[in-house]
Amino acid sequence: MGRQRSLLALILLLAIAAAVLLTQRPLNLGLDLRGGSQLTLQVSPTAEVPEITPEKMESVRAVVERRVNGLGVSEALVQTVGDTQLLVQLPGVSDPAQAERVLGDTAQLDFRQQRQGTEAQLRAEYQVLQGLLVQQANLEINNADPAELAENRAAIERSNQAIASLFDKVGLTGDMLRNAYAQPISGNAWEVGLEFNEEGGQKFAEMTKAVAGTGRSLGIFLDDDLLSAPTVDVKYAETGIVGGRASISGGFDAQRAGELALQLRSGALPVPVEIVENRTVGATLGRDSIQRSIYAAIAGLILVLIFMVVYYRLPGLLADIALVVYALLTLALFNLLNVTLTLPGIAGFILSIGMAVDANVLIFERTREELRSGKTLYRSVESGFYRAFSSILDSNVTTLIACAALFWLGVGLVKGFALTLAIGVVVSMFTALTCTRTLLLTALSVPSLRKPSYFSPGVSNSPSARPSST
Amino acid sequence: MKLHVIKQRNLWWAISAAFILSGLAAMLISWQNFGAPLRPSLDFVGGSRLQLELACAREKTCEQPIDPATVRSVLAEQGLANSSIQVLGTEQDALLIRTSTLNVEQRTELLQALEAKLGKFDPAATQIDTVGPTLGRQIFTSGLLALLAAFAGIMVYLSLRFQFDYALFAIVALLHDVLVTLGLFSILGLVSGLEVDSLFIVALLTIVGFSVNDTVVIYDRIRERIKESPGRHINDIVDEAVNQTLTRSINTTLTTILSLVAIFLFGGETLKYFALALIVGFVAGAYSSIFIASTLLAFWRERTGRAIAQPEPVADGPLDITPSPEDA
Repeated sequence: MGRQRSLLALILLLAIAAAVLLTQRPLNLGLDLRGGSQLTLQVSPTAEVPEITPEKMESVRAVVERRVNGLGVSEALVQTVGDTQLLVQLPGVSDPAQAERVLGDTAQLDFRQQRQGTEAQLRAEYQVLQGLLVQQANLEINNADPAELAENRAAIERSNQAIASLFDKVGLTGDMLRNAYAQPISGNAWEVGLEFNEEGGQKFAEMTKAVAGTGRSLGIFLDDDLLSAPTVDVKYAETGIVGGRASISGGFDAQRAGELALQLRSGALPVPVEIVENRTVGATLGRDSIQRSIYAAIAGLILVLIFMVVYYRLPGLLADIALVVYALLTLALFNLLNVTLTLPGIAGFILSIGMAVDANVLIFERTREELRSGKTLYRSVESGFYRAFSSILDSNVTTLIACAALFWLGVGLVKGFALTLAIGVVVSMFTALTCTRTLLLTALSVPSLRKPSYFSPGVSNSPSARPSST
Repeated sequence: MKLHVIKQRNLWWAISAAFILSGLAAMLISWQNFGAPLRPSLDFVGGSRLQLELACAREKTCEQPIDPATVRSVLAEQGLANSSIQVLGTEQDALLIRTSTLNVEQRTELLQALEAKLGKFDPAATQIDTVGPTLGRQIFTSGLLALLAAFAGIMVYLSLRFQFDYALFAIVALLHDVLVTLGLFSILGLVSGLEVDSLFIVALLTIVGFSVNDTVVIYDRIRERIKESPGRHINDIVDEAVNQTLTRSINTTLTTILSLVAIFLFGGETLKYFALALIVGFVAGAYSSIFIASTLLAFWRERTGRAIAQPEPVADGPLDITPSPEDA
């Protein structure tokens, strides 16, 4: 009996530890339960970048992460999925449309150098463009007819091209820009600070040296559209702006500087990305789901508990205790393994409650059979466990095989379900074989509980079924 | 209760065949209507789904229910005339719209147009799903692959633990369960417009994992009976094994279905049909284990002249049993 007692103590200890853990650390809830946006971004190759290498993916991830941070969402998560996809989770995001706009922007940023002798032309073209943009805004407000809008849009496009033709690319692209930020100078005036990496810093120095004091500007282009065309002071004519840091000043207010900084920060994607999936769940909707799932879990558990006691009597009651231990241990494992509980995940857990009693049902049915064939109580219980084992093993392994297939080949929510179900299956084998068995054997050591009728109705207390006293 | 599974096997097979054939017929009709055997949700074909609730719905201060005609006219203005619209909620203050895939600008525009006509929506009660068509295909193929992989894995495992013909008929029983579930959902798709999403694939895989349990338990008993009395006819053995495990089959299916009914009743919209698929599949699974997998095995053994089987050397799993001194 010593072995039973220590096992019992161990199980009790595990259950208490699990309960304490669960009260101390909340479970990790998925976005479908707490509200938020989950976006899947697809990275596609281009003519220049025909193959998406892991390094390219990493740099895309870094840019997306920076864009996400720019949104100011706490606990945001960006991870690569497969070879060409990124998963972005934004818990509790209030404006999913803005997030999508910022993340899905395929813009490519580069810094270009203005050609010699185009100063006057740039000024003229720039003025034309501004005029067209104002006109476009007016047209949109007044709900002008589509043909007129389209014409104006085409004119803007031509103007942008004309401006772009005045600049030369120097190979200084957005991925060499380490950071861009808005900072106040004095009063209402703001400037945009830039930080380049080493290579970018050198290129920037060369370029600024070339244009400093000439009246020509350096052009910052996002997708061939001119964002800003700052000029460089003559004092940098000797060396250019070195050290990889610079600032653009001149007539920015806080909002405009912030916008430009964000555009610069997020403009460094080496390959285009596209949002192929967006699932957004409002916060209250998620809360409702949790509540309903908890009701479902509790209702399912209670129904199963009642059934077991009514049908299997004493062993059923002990199996119920094991089932509660099972629920505690499984939830604690979810917690320890950082499983993110999603709606299907919870369904997997509820389902595993029903399946967890299967092992016990198998064992108890066996025990009853043995009792009916006239074996002693103790021997019946033991052989119930022994003979049910191969069925329990085979049936659980086949479920685990299905879980493995789901986990390796499934996507998204499917994976969460597979994982929770698999954990449930493994824990249920442990609790059914160890916990129920220990409880049963302990119960058998109490003389007043040693009545076969507590185990199987209809079996009389025949002399052969009564174990000899110790 | 004593079941004569072997004697009435033609009846059991006919019942299953009737179910499967009507399901196949429904799938054929569905194929002609939607180009797929079941009515696919946007998880598979791509598109956008917007579930919206008026901001006044929480306080129950909405003055009038949402008029679907208004919504339809707004959608038509946006060039989304062939979208589906459903007004939900007890006060008719919520809205479910399914359209072709919308990008951010289109979606924002649509929302603004709707808010102008209907009033403000509550962002905390909004659900927006957009799935690109390529991703839908990906979900579908990965699901199908997972299903095939699960079949193959189970087949290999059962061939090792039992014998090849056991494994084969277990797979036949699994196909039966999958077909019955597919068929019923295809019928529901035709009758009540029920769509299947990626959770349905999860449900199918769970059914596969779970129904094979039932089959394995009966097989296990058949194997045990053969070992104990090798001279008996397979028909007797199967009959006996099925009856000996019957209570267990019923009780296990019952306890599992109890939890599923809980999900079905309380689990909310998405999980509801997931639970329903599982209930259907598990019932079909219990049926096929008892009436299909075992009868087919007996039929096959009889046909191949192995009705009186030689005992097979199979090692049972180890279990640490220490005989107790009490048990003298």
